[in-house]
Amino acid sequence: MGATYEFYKGLWKENPVFRMVMGMCPTLAVTNAAINGVAMGLATAFVLVCSNIVVALIKTLIPSKVRIPAYVIIIATFVTIADLILAAYFPDIQKVLGLFIPLIVVNCVILARAEAFASKSNVRLSILDALGMGIGFTWALTLLGIIREILGMGSIFGISLFGEGYISWIIFILPPGAFLTLGLLIAFFNAFSKNKAEDSCCH
Amino acid sequence: MKNSTAYLIIVMVVISLASGLVLALTYNFTIPSINEIAAREQEQAILAVIPGATKYETYESAPFPMYKGIDDSGSIKGVAYVIEGGGFQGIIKIMVGIDMQNQALTGIKILSHSETPGLGARITEDWFQSQFAGKSINDAFVARQDVEAITGATISTKAVSRLLKESIPNVVEQYKTLGGGK
Repeated sequence: MGATYEFYKGLWKENPVFRMVMGMCPTLAVTNAAINGVAMGLATAFVLVCSNIVVALIKTLIPSKVRIPAYVIIIATFVTIADLILAAYFPDIQKVLGLFIPLIVVNCVILARAEAFASKSNVRLSILDALGMGIGFTWALTLLGIIREILGMGSIFGISLFGEGYISWIIFILPPGAFLTLGLLIAFFNAFSKNKAEDSCCH
Repeated sequence: MKNSTAYLIIVMVVISLASGLVLALTYNFTIPSINEIAAREQEQAILAVIPGATKYETYESAPFPMYKGIDDSGSIKGVAYVIEGGGFQGIIKIMVGIDMQNQALTGIKILSHSETPGLGARITEDWFQSQFAGKSINDAFVARQDVEAITGATISTKAVSRLLKESIPNVVEQYKTLGGGK
């Protein structure tokens, strides 16, 4: 359980989307195009790292009775900062992401890492944990976005793949497509994951 | 002591104040750039919906944002105005350009919206916006008849069409009250 494990666990073994099935609201809602998945993942990772650092720094000062509201204020502060900085210096990215940024506040991955990890660990391990979880969340959303965009619009990162003749499956960029894609991906990963039985029986 | 009510309140007040302070500083730091971007985008939007215009003036007395586009020789190329109203899940804000002489739209530009990404959000795509350029202001503006609809986003298409149809008579009226091309 060394420092590198705290980083790597978020990528696969405790991947927030495919293994822990957390943060489903942004996962299902924004992944109808690959670029949305990348942008949402990176913005979430930024907030995750910042909030984990602050929570790890002031964990001993926060009484347990008010820890959840305290974490939510810290997270909401960083989400607003991210929104303002994007609006001021990266207006194009902010236009794509603008609608989703406030959603980051209610992303349970961030609150879960603050509660389950940063409030019990030091700053260094909290940063590694947040980076691993953030990257794990980003690649999961990007994969979902790529699959849904290819099937639903016949393009990848906005680049058309099949030309004019392709009849796109609109359902994949609609909400049902999110459930179908995510369910099939989790089933696929479970089928190829050897320790699924032990994992699911004992938690 | 650590679980006394007073301590809980003090901790929450301190965290809230710190959060407010950080946000106020960030806001102060970023707002000049945000305003500058907004002003630049407004100018670009006005000039984009009135082809031929190189600068614009605001109708100060109009009850809603309304501008006239002027070309280099000083003649009026058209009128632009901002209309906003309900879309599928939020407000859609549109800059519309009208050529009053020819009674035709010269272009529209979606300024902001919160439609579904990948569906309703496609109202910002060029093929959708450009179909309105050249349309007579007396057209019906009905989705799937004289307005080409977006697959899976009929409500967003209808919202844009309805906003245009409802706002045009007001603007023509305002234009006359404000002295037309003077």
